[in-house]
Amino acid sequence: MSVVVIGLSHRTSPVELRERFAFADSKIPGALQSLRGSGIAGEAVILSTCNRVEIYAATTLAPQAAFAELKKFLLRWGETSGEPSASSPSPQRGEGRGEEVKAVSKLNPLIPSLSPFGWGEGVQFVGDEFYFFAEPQSLHHLFKVAGGLDSMVLGETEILGQIKTAYALAHQHKHTGARLNKIFQRAFNVAKHIRTHTNIQRGSVSVASVAVELADKIFSSLAGREVLVIGAGETGEKVARALLSRGAKSIIIANRSLERAQALAAELNGRAVPFDDWAGEFEKIDIVISSTSAPHHILDRPRLEPLMKARRQRPLLLIDIAVPRDIDPAVNGLENVYLYNIDDLQSIAADCLKQRTEEIARCEQIIAEKAGPLLETGEIQM
Amino acid sequence: MSWFTDRHFFLLAVVLYGLSTVYSVFLWRKGFRRDDHVNYFIILAGVALHTLAMTKRGLTFHSCPVNNLYEATTFLLWALGLACLVYSLLPRFKFLCAFTAPVLFTVGIFALMPSLDPPHGPKPDFSNWLRSLHAATILQSYGAFGLAAAAAGMFLMQQHDLKFHKLRAMLSLLPSIQRLELITLRLVLAGFVLFTIGLVTGQQLPRPEGKPYLSDPKVIWSALLWLVYLELIVARMFFGRSTRRFTIGVVIAFAFLLLTFGITNYYSGLHHQ
Repeated sequence: MSVVVIGLSHRTSPVELRERFAFADSKIPGALQSLRGSGIAGEAVILSTCNRVEIYAATTLAPQAAFAELKKFLLRWGETSGEPSASSPSPQRGEGRGEEVKAVSKLNPLIPSLSPFGWGEGVQFVGDEFYFFAEPQSLHHLFKVAGGLDSMVLGETEILGQIKTAYALAHQHKHTGARLNKIFQRAFNVAKHIRTHTNIQRGSVSVASVAVELADKIFSSLAGREVLVIGAGETGEKVARALLSRGAKSIIIANRSLERAQALAAELNGRAVPFDDWAGEFEKIDIVISSTSAPHHILDRPRLEPLMKARRQRPLLLIDIAVPRDIDPAVNGLENVYLYNIDDLQSIAADCLKQRTEEIARCEQIIAEKAGPLLETGEIQM
Repeated sequence: MSWFTDRHFFLLAVVLYGLSTVYSVFLWRKGFRRDDHVNYFIILAGVALHTLAMTKRGLTFHSCPVNNLYEATTFLLWALGLACLVYSLLPRFKFLCAFTAPVLFTVGIFALMPSLDPPHGPKPDFSNWLRSLHAATILQSYGAFGLAAAAAGMFLMQQHDLKFHKLRAMLSLLPSIQRLELITLRLVLAGFVLFTIGLVTGQQLPRPEGKPYLSDPKVIWSALLWLVYLELIVARMFFGRSTRRFTIGVVIAFAFLLLTFGITNYYSGLHHQ
């Protein structure tokens, strides 16, 4: 039996198309049963995330025949699954966090531009969106996917967990055998090696995650930290959400429109304060995210200096994502104050992405070294 | 191998500390990005040889080996190396070795100068437990101060990188600056307590005839050092001195200790009986 893979991913198709072929977890065992029952595959694993839908199959069919059969199977599935539903993979199940996706697609030169076929409301499907690999490329593809090299956010590690879950589901229902077991175990091993021996996952590649990582470098723990959001803009909200997800204690929101602040506070389980009162919160807070549309600095050195004394010089992280800037750059000269504006954050994200991109060659080398015999002969030396 | 003395073991230890220093330069240039164990094991091997050297000498005299400047310095370095190995086990503190190795190496070279280790005369009397306690606590406090200076160095580097938006701050595996500050303060406090115990026990020791106590250079120097560390602690804990100034103070205080330790010890009548 040789291992083949068919699939479509963020590189070949837009989300409108991918969601039509997505498999809900509850339906995967049935789909695997159907695949094996029809004789297309002896063993199979279905990987379905919001960025890719792939079927790994160990089959006795010739590659071309296997491709045709698997494509037919997927098309049938796409037709019967119909419109995307609640059972489709949610954005949280995607490879990398949602907020990272936008930032990276702008920055990542490796991501080809999508939507050349006018996919929109009426999704146009031309059939070229599927990719198909036979051995040894199929194995190489699996190792790349597991290592995060094929992800939208290059080097992200969430995909490895998703592959493990997909494999465990197939294994649990006895749809894998000696062939796929060995290959997937080796893929997990290679992915782990890549993670520990390269910088492919090091650094953050979005504004929100850079802000979180900065907080992590300054404070001993994010748990118990209070965050003040000045101006209830979209990016500020994203950063606040990212900090909350990493354990920040509470969010205080100050906005010119108190109603908007209250609405956001209710959403984030935080507290709204009138815009003119935000300085009164400084004694308690550790992180400030500012994104107002004020045409001038709302925080400058003479104003911050006494506030820092009141805080007994505890470290303060200021994230200024407003344009024009809300915070006077001179405040960075104050002790224990760390100011980052939108350019700083974007520049760090771009540098981290560049670093990751430079690591691709090393990752490929690891794949070649660790999976070399397997890729050449299809056999694993255990 | 009778020709292979305890000094040879110590020399090998210093060579390993030197190797670790060179390796640390590479780690620093690479931005402390990979969770590196190599440096830890080099220091571990160095400390093992160092322990062997001290044990060998201690067994020769059947006492704690702190009878001359060489022995006192090697004891100090040993305390510093051991504390570094222990603290490096904390998450993200693996790179503490990279900051400690240069101190171990440079002071180790200094200790190897033959004039610091004159042949022993009559067997020193170390039956007095108070004297052993004095020597041990004082030297361990120096170790704690040295480690505090290493942690302070890590803090200053990381803080500089964060202030000036260096990518290295994001990619390095160093602990957060708040954690580094806490560790520095704790080490200074621990060192200060040990130092105080050492000074109190030293004051209780019987003094040889004709040797002045209060005008002894080492006593004056120790009192000055005690006041320096007291000032650092009080200013930080009760008067809100900034972390940056505190950590710079910790580095300067230890540099002062290292640079003047040998001189005061040399001129101290009480410590050359």
